[in-house]
This record gives sequence, C-alpha cells and structure tokens, in this order.
Amino acid sequence: MFKKILIANRGEIACRVIKTARKMGIATVAVYSEADKDALHVDLADEGVCIGPAPSKDSYLVIDKIIAACKQTGAEAVHPGYGFLSENAEFSRRLEEEGIKFIGPKHYSVAKMGDKIESKKLALEAKVNTIPGYNEAISGPEQAVEIAKGIGYPVMIKASAGGGGKGLRVAFNDKEAYDGFASCVNEAKNAFGDDRVFIEKYVLEPRHIEIQVLGDSHGNYVYLNERDCSIQRRHQKVIEEAPSPFVDPEMRKAMGEQAVALARAVQYESAGTVEFVVGADKSFYFLEMNTRLQVEHPVTELITGLDLVELMIRVAAGEKLPMTQNDVRLDGWSMECRINAEDPFRGFLPSTGRLVKFQPPEEGNGVRVDTGVFEGGEISMFYDSMIAKLIVHGKDRDDAIRLMRDALNAFLIRGIGSNIPFQAALLQHPRFCSGNFNTGFIAEEYPQGFDASMVPHDDPELLAAVATFARLRYIERAVQTTGQLQGHGRRVTTDWVALMGGKNYQLHVEPIEGGKAITCGGKRYEIVSNWTFRDMIFEACVNGLPICLQIERRGLRYRISHFGLQVEPMVMTPRAARLLALMPEKLPPDMSRFLLSPMPGLLREIAVHVGQEVKAGEKLAVIEAMKMENVLKAEQDGKVKNILAAAGASLAVDEMIIEFE
Amino acid sequence: MHEIIRQLEEKRQKAHLGGGQKRIDSQHAKGKLTARERIELFLDDGSFEEWDMFKEHRCTDFGMDAEHVPGDGVVTGYGTVNGRLVFVFSQDFTVFGGSLSETQAEKICKVMDHAMKVGAPVIGLNDSGGARIQEGVASLGGYADVFQRNVMASGVIPQISLIMGPCAGGAVYSPAMTDFIFMVKDSSYMFVTGPEVVKTVTHEEVTAEQLGGAVTHNTKSGVADLAFENDVEALMMTRRLVGFLPGSNRSEVPVVPCDDPADRVDYSLDTLVPSSANQSYDMKELIFKMVDDGDFFELQPDYAKNIIIGLARMEGSTVGIVANQPLVLAGCLDIKSSIKAARFVRFCDAFNIPVVTLVDVPGFMPGTSQEYGGIIKHGAKLLYAYAECTVPKVTLITRKAYGGAYDVMSSKHLRGDVNFAWPSAEIAVMGPKGAVEIIFREEKGDPAKLAEREAEYKAKFANPFVAGARGFIDDVVMPHETRKRICRSLAMLKDKQVDNPWRKHGNIPL
Repeated sequence: MFKKILIANRGEIACRVIKTARKMGIATVAVYSEADKDALHVDLADEGVCIGPAPSKDSYLVIDKIIAACKQTGAEAVHPGYGFLSENAEFSRRLEEEGIKFIGPKHYSVAKMGDKIESKKLALEAKVNTIPGYNEAISGPEQAVEIAKGIGYPVMIKASAGGGGKGLRVAFNDKEAYDGFASCVNEAKNAFGDDRVFIEKYVLEPRHIEIQVLGDSHGNYVYLNERDCSIQRRHQKVIEEAPSPFVDPEMRKAMGEQAVALARAVQYESAGTVEFVVGADKSFYFLEMNTRLQVEHPVTELITGLDLVELMIRVAAGEKLPMTQNDVRLDGWSMECRINAEDPFRGFLPSTGRLVKFQPPEEGNGVRVDTGVFEGGEISMFYDSMIAKLIVHGKDRDDAIRLMRDALNAFLIRGIGSNIPFQAALLQHPRFCSGNFNTGFIAEEYPQGFDASMVPHDDPELLAAVATFARLRYIERAVQTTGQLQGHGRRVTTDWVALMGGKNYQLHVEPIEGGKAITCGGKRYEIVSNWTFRDMIFEACVNGLPICLQIERRGLRYRISHFGLQVEPMVMTPRAARLLALMPEKLPPDMSRFLLSPMPGLLREIAVHVGQEVKAGEKLAVIEAMKMENVLKAEQDGKVKNILAAAGASLAVDEMIIEFE
Repeated sequence: MHEIIRQLEEKRQKAHLGGGQKRIDSQHAKGKLTARERIELFLDDGSFEEWDMFKEHRCTDFGMDAEHVPGDGVVTGYGTVNGRLVFVFSQDFTVFGGSLSETQAEKICKVMDHAMKVGAPVIGLNDSGGARIQEGVASLGGYADVFQRNVMASGVIPQISLIMGPCAGGAVYSPAMTDFIFMVKDSSYMFVTGPEVVKTVTHEEVTAEQLGGAVTHNTKSGVADLAFENDVEALMMTRRLVGFLPGSNRSEVPVVPCDDPADRVDYSLDTLVPSSANQSYDMKELIFKMVDDGDFFELQPDYAKNIIIGLARMEGSTVGIVANQPLVLAGCLDIKSSIKAARFVRFCDAFNIPVVTLVDVPGFMPGTSQEYGGIIKHGAKLLYAYAECTVPKVTLITRKAYGGAYDVMSSKHLRGDVNFAWPSAEIAVMGPKGAVEIIFREEKGDPAKLAEREAEYKAKFANPFVAGARGFIDDVVMPHETRKRICRSLAMLKDKQVDNPWRKHGNIPL
C-alpha cells in the first residue's frame, strides 16, 4: 500500500479523498492555488504545496506542477478527484512515465473513452446498446425517410455543426421526416455554412441513469447498481439518487452487465461510470463513460456500504477487488442534493463572498455531508459553485425524501446565497416525489425560473406559532430585566396575532411543561424546546414530533425558513394588530427608474452625467467586484436625472447609483 | 357624590375623544395614530397612569375661551415598559393641532420634573403644529420652560423623542436636546423653517419630506437616529431601546438573564480580517458574533456609515459599541463620523454604560472639504469624549490603528482600561507605503529600493508587538476568543471608579 498520496484537486472532493486516505493510514499531500491557501483541504492534509495563481489553468490544470509537487513531497500516487486533470490521458501517461501511480484508470482506457466516436464503436463491439442512428451523408429527403423508418420513430434530425437548438428537428412520421430533413439542411447551411445532417433515434422523456463500475488489474469487474441523475438544470445535475425509481431488477442486471462488458473492453482498472439515456419504454442506450470518480458517488456508497475511494486506492496499489458481483448490496435508498453558492431567486447567479455562517446538519442517522468549505471561509469566483453535497440514506425512497427535507431545514448558510430553497421546493414537488420525471423536469416545471411563491408550505399556522413561541421567550426574559417597578410588573397576555405574508393569524397561548401550547386556526401546537435567542436553528418537539427550522431576528420580525419557504412574521397583541391595520400600506418604491448595484462592490466609474440622454445598451457605470470589472448598461432609453453615488464609493447590493427621469 | 362621579365620567370621555371623532378619523387617514393609541402601544398593557387629564388652557383671546378640551392637547403620565418605569408625554394633534400652550408646557414640565426626581426616562411623542399662536408669548415661554428642563435632565435621565407628525420652528429644539430622535417615514418632519419660507428667502423649491423628512434626517443631516415605516414600528422599537437604558445616571445599567455563554468561541472570526490590507470586511459581523445573542441595536445606521454606534449586551449588561467600518471610506474618521461617535460616547459615559471600541482606522479623511469644514474641531470632539469618559473602556484593534486616529479611538493614552489587539493589528503612525515615502524621501527614484524599505517597515510596524512592548496594548488576543476576553474585562471593570477633577463643566470643542 502507498505511504503517501497527493490529491490533485480542491474543495469537497479533495477533503473526501483525504478522509479515506487518513482512515487507511496513508499520508496526504494537498495542492492549492494562491486563492486556496486557507482552504479546508489544505488544512486537512498532512502537507500542502502551492501550485500557482488562482486561475485553474495556471494551477490545478498544470501537469508539470503536480508532478513537481509529487517529487517534492515524495507522494507515490495521485488521486485526481473529478474535473481538472481527472480525465486527462496525458496526465496519467506522464505520471506513469515518472513512476507515480495514477489512482484511476490506465491512460489507454481514458483515451479510448474520451473519444466520442471511438467509445461508441467500442460499445457497439461490446454489445452495449447504442442509440440507433445514421452517421453518413444523406442524399436527400427520400433517403432520410428510409433511414428514419429503419431506426423507428421518433427520430431526431440534427445538423452536424448544430447547437443551441438550431438545426434540429424531431420527426414522428414519414412526412415529418421528409419535411424536417429539408428544413434542417437549409437551416444548417444558413446558420453554420455546413449542410451535413445526421439522423438518430429520439428518446422520448429521457432519463439519465448511470451505472457505477469497478475493475481491478486482475481482470475482475463488478457493477455497483445505478444512479438516477435525471433532475438537472441546464444539463447540470441537481439531485441524484440510488437506486433509480425507474429501474427494475431485470433492467438493472441488463444495464450492469453491459456496463461491465464495456469496462472489460477497455481493461478498465478503477471506479468508472457508464452513462445511459433511458426512454419512457425502458429502452436504454449508452451515452458515454466517465473515467473518474463522479460527484454523486456517495449515493452508491451509501446503498452498497462501500468506500469507492478506498477501493480506487487499493486497485491502484495492485490489490484485487475484495468482492464479486454476488456480494454487491443494495440497501435502502440514497439521495444527494448539490448545495451550490448561487441565488435561486436571482436566476441562479453565482454568489461569492464570505461564508458568514456555515453549519451543515449533523452527520449520522442517515445524513452525510461532504464539503470543502467552512464558516468564515471565502467562496471565490475562480472555481465551481458547488460548496457541499448533502447525502441521505433512508430505508426507502419516501424515507430518504423525508430525511433530506429535514436535513435541508437544518443546513445554515449565511453571507452568500445558496440553492437550498430550490432544493427544498424540488423535494416537495409531487412529480418528484412520485418518481415520475425525466431530464426535462426542471425546465418543464419551472419554465420562468424560480421564485419564492413556488415554495408551498402546508402548515403556515405552525410558522406563526413558532414565531409566537420565540416572541414570548423574548418577553418572558425582558420582564426579568433589573429595575422593575416592584409589584407592578408587566402581565404577559395569552392572545397574540402574527402578521405574516399579508395575513393575520390569531393565536392563543397556554403554558405546558417545558414549553407552550399554541392554538391557531383550530390547530393546536404543543411546542417544547430549549431554544435560546442566539440559535438560528430552532429545534423543537411539536405535538411529539421533532421539527427543525431556521429563525433569525430582523428588527421586530422573525425571519423563518422552513422547507424552502421564507416568511417574516411579526407577532403583536391583538390591539396592536388592529392599530397596525390603520397604518397605510407602503408599496415598495418603484425601482425601475433607478440603476441599482447588482452586487456589492467598488464603484469604479460613472460613465454618464446628469441630463445626458442614454440609449439602451449604453455603458452607465463600472463596478469592480471580486477583482472583476462589471459594466452596467442601460436597459432602456432614458435621461439621467440624478447621480446618487460617486466613483470610489463601495456599494451594497441594490444600492442606488443613477436615477432616470 | 353621584353627580361628581357622573361629571368625572363625562370629562374622561371627553378627554378620551380629544378633538373629536372627526379629527381622530382624519388623523388615522393621514396614517397616524392618536396620542392615546400611541401611549397604549408604547407602554405595557394597562400600565398607564395619566396625570392632568382635566387641565385646560387659560387663554381668552381670539375666541379661545369658548374652546376647551380637557387635557389641552397633550396626554401625560407614567407607565412601564417591560415592567420598568418611564414617563411619557404625547401631543394630541386632534386638539388645536397639538399646538403648545402654556398649559401644555406645564403638563410636560410636570412629568419631566417627576422623572428627574425618581430617576426614570422621559419619552416624548411629538405631533404638534407648533406654538399656540393665540397665546403669543405665553406659548413661547412654555417652550423655553421645556427647553430648560431638557437641558437640566440631559445626562441625568435618558430622554427619547419620537417625531410622529410635524415638528417645526422652535419646537425642534426640545427633541434636539434629547438623547435620541426617532422619526416616522412619510408622516413626520422637522425643520427650523418650512418649505414656504425657504422658497421666499432662498428661492429653493423643496418639499417638507425632502427638507426635513425621516430619510433626510437619518441620512443627510444626522439629526435623527432611526427612521421607521409607521407609528407601530417606531413605538415597538422604542420599547426595545428603553430595555437597554438605565433609569438615570444614578442607577446601574439594566441586566437581563443571559444564556449566551461568556466563553463562547467563534472560530470564523479568525478569518474575518482579509489577508490583503486593501481588502475590506464588514465590522458588523464581529459585533454580531461578539455580543449576547447577536442582538445589536444600531443607532444612526444610515448616517456616517464609516463608523458604527449602537447598544448591545455582554453577559446580560448593556454596553455601548463604537466601531470603525472598513467597508465604508476604509473606516476613516471624518467630520460626520467623529460627531456621531463623540455624542454616543458621551451618552454612554453619562449613563454608566461601558464602551467597547473596535478599531480599524487608517486615519482622518484628508481634503479641503474636511479641513474647511473644521475636521480639527470635530475630530477633537471624539478625542475629548473618549478622554473625559470614565466608564469602563475596552478597546480592540482588529487591523489598522494609524496616526492620530489611533490615539483618538479609545487608546491606552486616553485612559483605555483594557486595550486588546488581534494578531492582524498594525499600530503605526501611518501605512507602510506612506511612511517609507517620507522617511526615505531621497530614495524616491528607486522603486525597488523603496519596495524593500516598505517590506522592512511592514515587518517592523505592521504587527501588534511594538505597541505591546510599550504596554499600549495589554494583550494580543485571538479573534475567536474575543467575546470571552471582552466579557472578562468588563466583569473585572464592573466596579471601576475614576473621577475627573471638579469643574463647572469642561469646554468641549463645539
């Protein structure tokens, strides 16, 4: 076994690999860019080597620097993680030349699977299902119809040079194939100057299902069941699960055996993933093979009880696989949510900055958290926005969903935006819960993007009751302030009103052992909790069941986040609520006439002056944020009325810069 | 006897109706509550003891003898806020537009005198059209009587003014002399002369809101300390402020039961100060993570944002926080921020509230506008305030403490009791670059040499050790243990006693 390995990666995967290496008694070397010198993976590793400036192309992607770091530290092997150099055949070949073991497949396997055409050919030879199609030049629409018939409808007619939906037709019958071919050729010629067109099977309602395989250098192969990664947003996986709600044992066996056949065909020696596209009719076709550890590998680990990183290391060290296909287990149900630093309410814009608060849910009891960041750390713009993976393991799918929903409630992130509200919304979407979805799920269900109204909550009275509970805790403490008018203290009353989302909730409170019984709208909540004011996580027993939500004081209100919903209830006496109702409702000011700062940053330049007429698209100001210059342009024609911020000012998000007439 | 009680009921009813239902409705239509509704919301349920409900004006001119409303346009008395005694007066706009009569002034003076006697805060809810013109000089005299009491009460009992309607002309000077002014957006304004006079004299076209609205006074003039969306929020937040304040300068600060451990560590603070000296960070994060329950009552949050002031609690006891804000103007001291902080430090000193100062200050703001504006005098106010202050003073330097600004910010030399520094602290006359350019002026043409000198200077002064060697700082503390160390220091200083020499009063550079 190796004594020391180097991890040529960063973030959560580097930390993940270090964890296993440590368990195996192997010393670890982290490499890091200048932007990562305080990163968690550097802290966790036994040694660290700086490999250059922040941009990946100058650090994590430079083979020579990784090799130099190996030599400098005496690392015998390199785990590449995913991304960066993990599927770079040149990298594994170079390592081999230097006598350093690559913890991954041999370079020839990588090279073969890295080539789209070659991998398809290999798959065909290995009798793996591939998408039926015709790749040669097509003489005309008549031939196109013949080919389409041969493949079987529906078919996709696609320009070789196509992209972004251009030069693409789907045909369900002969006529559509005939017309589709002609228009596709035309469009391809006009758009790309290349009229080559090919035809292949169009998979209806496709799911993305992949098989984890494992091979060793002794010719042994196993498949470790499937993962369903159909929940994707713009081709980025969002939620992954194992097993797939769509796959039955027979299909699993068929897919698994084909995946192993392919692995065998390239003498695959490590963990790898064979991706399939699966149709509504349960037909499945090979897409590609990922010759590395996948982001979503933990779901496989949880249902099989295996440590894939450990197995990769053992295989790389020449050991035999410790199991045969019959030993592979499938226990319960596992699910993974990718926690990204992005703002789901602002079009999923990446969110960077300081992690003011970062408290993942407690691990254990079916919850696992893989992360590479820490509270007080910095999320930089240089790398991927995924900051953590939340993985659960339940006894069945419903149990896994329940665990995940609870775990998301307990995941505290402040300082940057995260996609947790979106994940929470997905997890209670009836279609997701039914298991009946495909890769189009997010695009179909959230065509206009995501906003706060898309997070339903089936028990708002509970949130009103919790806010009242918190408010009473505050009052009960306040009346113990020193300097009381002895004997004439405040009487704490029992009736309250919570104003939340434009609605008034009437609440009645009675004390019970260890807490309060709060009645609201005919529902009674017996809340027992030892929550204190500094806790942003509110854990309680409500009517005997545990709940967890997030609560923060915001002036007179409480901000409560639960199951992705965020509300700001204000709790007051019924009299105060009646008086508040007399207050005019102030509409949020119309901001369309203002240029607002889209991000916190330094105002570098104001490019216009008062009275200037501007045209849509004209440069208005430049903001420097995260060392990047962002040019703010006019969204419509207008005249500058007022300039509200001076160059050199540091701006908060949504701060006003320019007012238009 | 029955007749008397009947009459009493009648008078009470009349008093409760103030200027009548029509005027009450019109008050509501303006988005304002009535004087009594405000008191009801502000005080604990049922705790209000009203005085002088039957008091009436004595004016006979201009037909005033025919118009009498019991209470004469102001509701006064005392009650409790979370069980603690406070005195209130609330002007009733429905009665003669809340205008101040001689009688009204007498009522206000009465509660102020009582508050002084027993040592409890006075909260004034202002909603008045101005002087009772019909009374002429008697009304003006009434104003001055209130002013005089404001001044006598200053530093003896906390005085808080809520501006919940018009407050113009001479009337502004009573709130102006109180400790805090809160305003309600869109329904309150304060100015010495109104838009019409402004137009006649200076030909400026300006609305009342622009001239003296809540936003104006909270962002531009710094006259007000907080702005609220409506009466209800203003009153409920004022209750919260009262919770931080002692009854008078004779009482100790209030203490609430605290379950936030004094020795709570927060490792995320270890990375708060960025490694690059030119990068900013949010000082509020330190405040939120340091104080009890992250509960910080910030004052003047939208004015002179380069300095942060506000009240919080440490181990249940009130403390005042003054902190440079590196996010804004690099946290430097300028005219506005010096005045803002100086007044707050003096408030804390007057009311036995310990001051915790968090320092990251690159110096005073340079420029003609600052010099012409009198930064020398205004900066001196903060220096004076800290130097004169005798309450416990705990100071923490997080990063830069340069030049005269270092001295000003509650330094050891100004009788700072405990002065801490984080390892990232740099206590020096100025930043390395500037210093090197002066000391090694003759090497100006040689950038390589200068860079070398800069590194040398940095190694020598960009750390807390030089100041530590002289005892100017008492210890270098790790950021994560900040709360614990400051809590311990405050506990140690609890019975601190320092007296300034007797004098009539000092001569702070006003």
